[in-house]
Amino acid sequence: MGRYRKYASIARTSLEITFVYRAGFVLNMLGTIFYVVAMFYLWQTIFLGSPNALGGFTWPEMKAYLLVSFLLNSLMTWFAEWNMSMDIKEGRVATDLARPMDFQASRMATAFGPVPFEFSSALVVGAIVATVFGGIALPADPLHLVVFLFSAFLATLIKFGLVYCVSMTAFWTTGIDGIMVGRVAIQNIFSGALIPLVFFPDWLRAIAAVLPFQGMISTPALTYLGKMDGPTTALMICIQAVWAVGLILLGRLVWRGAVRAVTINGG
Amino acid sequence: MALIEAHGLTKKFRQAVKEPGLIGSLKHFFTRQYRDRLAVDHIDLSVEAGESVAYLGPNGAGKSTTIKMLTGILVPTSGSLVVNGLVPYEKRQQNARNIGVVFGQRTQLWWDIPVIESFNLARDMYEIPVKRYKENLAQFTEILGLDEFMNVPAGKISLGQRMRADLCMALLHDPKTLYLDEPTIGLDIAVKDSIRRFIRSLVVERGTTVMLTTHDLGDIEDICKRIVIIDNGKIIHDGDLAKLKDTYARDRVIHFQLARPPESMAAICAALPACETTTDGLRLSVRFDRFRLTAGEIAAAVMSRVEVIDFRIDEPEVEDLIRKVYLGQLSLESTDSDTAAPSLVEA
Ligand SMILES: Nc1ncnc2c1ncn2[C@@H]1O[C@H](COP(=O)(O)OP(=O)(O)OP(=O)(O)O)[C@@H](O)[C@H]1O
Ligand SMILES: [Mg+2]
Repeated sequence: MGRYRKYASIARTSLEITFVYRAGFVLNMLGTIFYVVAMFYLWQTIFLGSPNALGGFTWPEMKAYLLVSFLLNSLMTWFAEWNMSMDIKEGRVATDLARPMDFQASRMATAFGPVPFEFSSALVVGAIVATVFGGIALPADPLHLVVFLFSAFLATLIKFGLVYCVSMTAFWTTGIDGIMVGRVAIQNIFSGALIPLVFFPDWLRAIAAVLPFQGMISTPALTYLGKMDGPTTALMICIQAVWAVGLILLGRLVWRGAVRAVTINGG
Repeated sequence: MALIEAHGLTKKFRQAVKEPGLIGSLKHFFTRQYRDRLAVDHIDLSVEAGESVAYLGPNGAGKSTTIKMLTGILVPTSGSLVVNGLVPYEKRQQNARNIGVVFGQRTQLWWDIPVIESFNLARDMYEIPVKRYKENLAQFTEILGLDEFMNVPAGKISLGQRMRADLCMALLHDPKTLYLDEPTIGLDIAVKDSIRRFIRSLVVERGTTVMLTTHDLGDIEDICKRIVIIDNGKIIHDGDLAKLKDTYARDRVIHFQLARPPESMAAICAALPACETTTDGLRLSVRFDRFRLTAGEIAAAVMSRVEVIDFRIDEPEVEDLIRKVYLGQLSLESTDSDTAAPSLVEA
């Protein structure tokens, strides 16, 4: 246990720093709230036009889907990615390298530290929004909730794996901001954050199926709603796990290459 | 085997070459051009445990790059490097446990949290036994006077305070080796002094091996016995500081304040052969080789000829010496041979 204590301390510190930057946190939160409320109005209008289920979703289910999407998007904000890439760009990783810590593990601790706080604040905000919009569908079976939590955890791991890999590009390029924006744009489409994947044309759905993004929103949201049968759920969660592990390993590989080939900036 | 053993250690950087302006940027966007730069060029270095080494050189000589390789931050392009039985970049974490690093230009402390919490993090990161941690923290806090800003975030303390806190942070885990890259940059004299005294005490009392780069030669006279000079990535001198002084900084100057102008300069000059004598009104300066003449002899010779009100002696300065080396006016032979004559190339 002693060996991992340092990572727990890093995570705790990272959470503490989130509190220091509470203004940034609140602004970010407001941004996501604004976004989720806009989505609610948008979809409400669509559902008003067709009183029955759309793409297999009832309106309460759709609301639940949007809230799950909001909840997962609130975890591990752009702050983690921005911080990491800045540390690389400005050469602060040099100090990390002179410490007896695994770089990826310490970055993971940093990224996960604020997650419990982000999760609970998003839960509170989500509950308020849900109430204002007249309630959401709750999981039909308590088991769905358990599976959902596990799937949400995997979703966050995938997000970390992705964010880590993207940040690494800061070693080679100075245009990391553009890459970050690109990542978010692609992710918003293919994760199902904007539109559930069932609404996609077949070819686009086929692309989404082979990308890691669906595991970030779509899969956990569908497990929450119990939209998939048992075997499909198991398969989708396995796919999530494979992506999570794969991306984290890829990150390690990229890091190793980066440290060898590229140099740490600054005198 | 020495604590630090480097053979043919080399680091080549690839620097992007970009012409200035928008056109330059555009060109660079399509045709990337690079130029190789040997920041460290086949250096051999061997440092024994307990040594205190000053690593000097002009800006861009390759000092920081060397330190980064020794600490495992950078991977060498070629050459062999073993520190305390480990290859730093291969066993990065293990190596990190044995070393303390302070980069004067950048802090190790967490910017947003109180200094004491950075220390507590160090305790967990280095797995320092609680008892040892408390002892060290108490000792360093007292010597370095950290109390007044212990609970202030690192981002809100002054440079001098930050540097002291950084030193403490780097030493809490009792590192065998301490690397200091410009530890006194931008500090006032009092803080510089206290930091130098502190580092000295580490060398003397704890037997810590210290490798220090600096542009302030005051640092090295207090702390280091050995100096290594690097220029353009190559080591151009490696030897004992005292010996270096004896070999190259032989000249001393006595300045006399006279009661009235000397009647005959020629007589004084004749009495002081092999000395360089200059006058300026009521002032008379004599430059002499401190191994051939004593200040007493000079003073006696002058005083027997003119009335002297006051005099003072200028000691040879390492600073002068190093400046000459940097400017290429002085090329250092190995100071190990006592016979080595100073070869002064007038620029
Ligand atoms: N990350 C890097 N990429 C490309 N070139 C670099 C990099 N870091 C250093 N250099 C080059 O390597 C050379 C040595 O740099 P280094 O920082 O080691 O010098 P230094 O001796 O520490 O100088 P100073 O006294 O100014 O700190 C310089 O010419 C510098 O331009
Ligand atoms: Mg430097």
